[in-house]
Amino acid sequence: MRVYLARRIIQSIIVVFVMVTLMFVIFRIIPSDPTAMLVERGMPEETRQRLLEQWGLTGPLYVQYVRYLTNLFQGDFGLSFFYSKPVWEILAPKVLNTLWIAIPGLLLGATFGSVLGMFVGWSRRGGAIDGLGILLAPPFVTGILALMVFSGFFDLLPGFGMRTPGANPSGFAATYLNGDFLQHLILPVAVVALTFIPENLLLMRTGVLEARGEDYLEMVRAKGVSEFRVMWHAGRNSLLPVITWLFPSLAETVAGIVLVEVVFSWPGVGRELVFSVTRQDMPIAQAGFFLLAVMIVASNLLADLVYSYLDPRVVYK
Amino acid sequence: MTLLKKSKIRRASAVYSEDRAAAFDPSRVQEAMAIWAAGRSRSVFAPLIETFGLLVKDRMAVVGMAIIATLAVVGILGPLIVPLPPFQALKAPDGTMLRLAEPSAAHPFGTDYFAHSVLSQFILGIRIAFLVGLSAAVAVGLISTVLGLVSGYFGGYLDDAIMRIVDIALSIPTLPFAIIMVAVLGPSLENVLFVIVLLYWRNGARIVRSAVLTQKERPFIAAARALGASHWRIMTYHILPNVLPVAFLWMTMSIAFAVLTEASLSFIGLGDPSMASWGQMLNLAFQTASIRSAWWWVLPPSLGLILLISSIYFIGRAFEEKTNPRLRQRAA
Repeated sequence: MRVYLARRIIQSIIVVFVMVTLMFVIFRIIPSDPTAMLVERGMPEETRQRLLEQWGLTGPLYVQYVRYLTNLFQGDFGLSFFYSKPVWEILAPKVLNTLWIAIPGLLLGATFGSVLGMFVGWSRRGGAIDGLGILLAPPFVTGILALMVFSGFFDLLPGFGMRTPGANPSGFAATYLNGDFLQHLILPVAVVALTFIPENLLLMRTGVLEARGEDYLEMVRAKGVSEFRVMWHAGRNSLLPVITWLFPSLAETVAGIVLVEVVFSWPGVGRELVFSVTRQDMPIAQAGFFLLAVMIVASNLLADLVYSYLDPRVVYK
Repeated sequence: MTLLKKSKIRRASAVYSEDRAAAFDPSRVQEAMAIWAAGRSRSVFAPLIETFGLLVKDRMAVVGMAIIATLAVVGILGPLIVPLPPFQALKAPDGTMLRLAEPSAAHPFGTDYFAHSVLSQFILGIRIAFLVGLSAAVAVGLISTVLGLVSGYFGGYLDDAIMRIVDIALSIPTLPFAIIMVAVLGPSLENVLFVIVLLYWRNGARIVRSAVLTQKERPFIAAARALGASHWRIMTYHILPNVLPVAFLWMTMSIAFAVLTEASLSFIGLGDPSMASWGQMLNLAFQTASIRSAWWWVLPPSLGLILLISSIYFIGRAFEEKTNPRLRQRAA
């Protein structure tokens, strides 16, 4: 177990390192003039040079690379061009905003999806899903349609930002625990949940379908319990893939939520990433990408550890 | 094939390992050839055709194929039936611009904010979706098949190296990576395609590799090797046909991923400006704040994306079910 743990942690560190190098390649080597990406255009030559030095864009490439790594390890991503503030000061509050829709959305999607999947997999043919025919909609399309229907036609729910314009609350309770915020939360969370229902449904359905013929179910049935209890036995045994799938999909949610945030003008990391790209504000783009990459690596690691705890056989493979 | 006894395979391989000049025995060569012929006496494309035959039995897969075929026909014949150019500003009889006109007999899907016909744009969108999807899928399929084949067949350090690269590539956050790459490279169709291929070869290579690994252990491969077939011949003639269905499935799925990625990038304004894809239509509807009112502008591209992606998914799911015997038995 300890060896497995150590191996996975070392692997993750290597992946993060490769990611960081990849970022260096993307931002410094691919563009023909990287300084154009990182320093605003139309500056006097003197200011430009000073800025270049400040961003560490002078000297040979390997020197830049070493400097870039040192800065990263000190957690220094530089200043945002647009806000003229340290990158973390901009991104830290956005992370919280993103998690506000990512985690409830994912949990709701997993719960609804697996419960539905259990019933579908248990149904007579197990293929009732044929009639159900889940449609897969890309999250931003679901978002747009939700916006059109609930915010446009029926004018029921707000679909713009986190709170009614003008409201400027302070303090955690006043900011997040009020009706206005919750109303703004409904549509984005629902869209994230909807995009995760199909995958969870199918995972659970496959599991229940495979478990249906197992002997232990005959045993449970022989005990004379209700058919619902029998189903629950099959369902509980099929939960493992759903649970382990949750962690990597948290990472994917955070990455894929970019578009949901754009649709609902939700001030999260993803929307900031899109803005930074259109504003040519590369320090933010770089930090945002790094943040998302680390989140994915960390959740994959966590998923493997949870899996090895739930199903110790994987450790010895 | 599984009926063949292990001893027979061992004997077949023995023909190869023994000193041929010293122990040339025609009857043993014949035996090896019989085993080899039992392994492949069919067309190279037989596995692919068989898989297709299985897919046709799945109701949802048939629905999916029908939807894709319909979209393809509309995409090809559309411009003949609706000859209105997608970017021509339409005018009302009184000479004013026909902005955001509701659907009418003259313009069945209405017009958008810029007085363009939504129907013509939708048809153009089909063509772009197929162009993006198919070209990305061909590239992805080719790269992942070659890498998976080489990695799975040769094994060893080469396999380790390729699979470590795949592992690392798999931890790249898909959409953020695509956004940043396209932003740095510049928004053009080639760059969007390049990024899509860069993102989706990784899963394909891994899937093809695992299929190759199971094929590699089958008796007719040992027999072919015993007869002195070269690596190249075994890979292309004996293994490739049997992993083609898997590679083909991944190609089909990558059409969906490619269309989705292109639509996502276009929606946030990073699509090719000269290509009016469905994503771009939605982007314009969003930018001009028409989403809440102009349903006739929003629905066609949305439904187009949903239908196309779902259809591909139905096919993929049916394939998975038909090739996973455990599921097939229980569901029957």
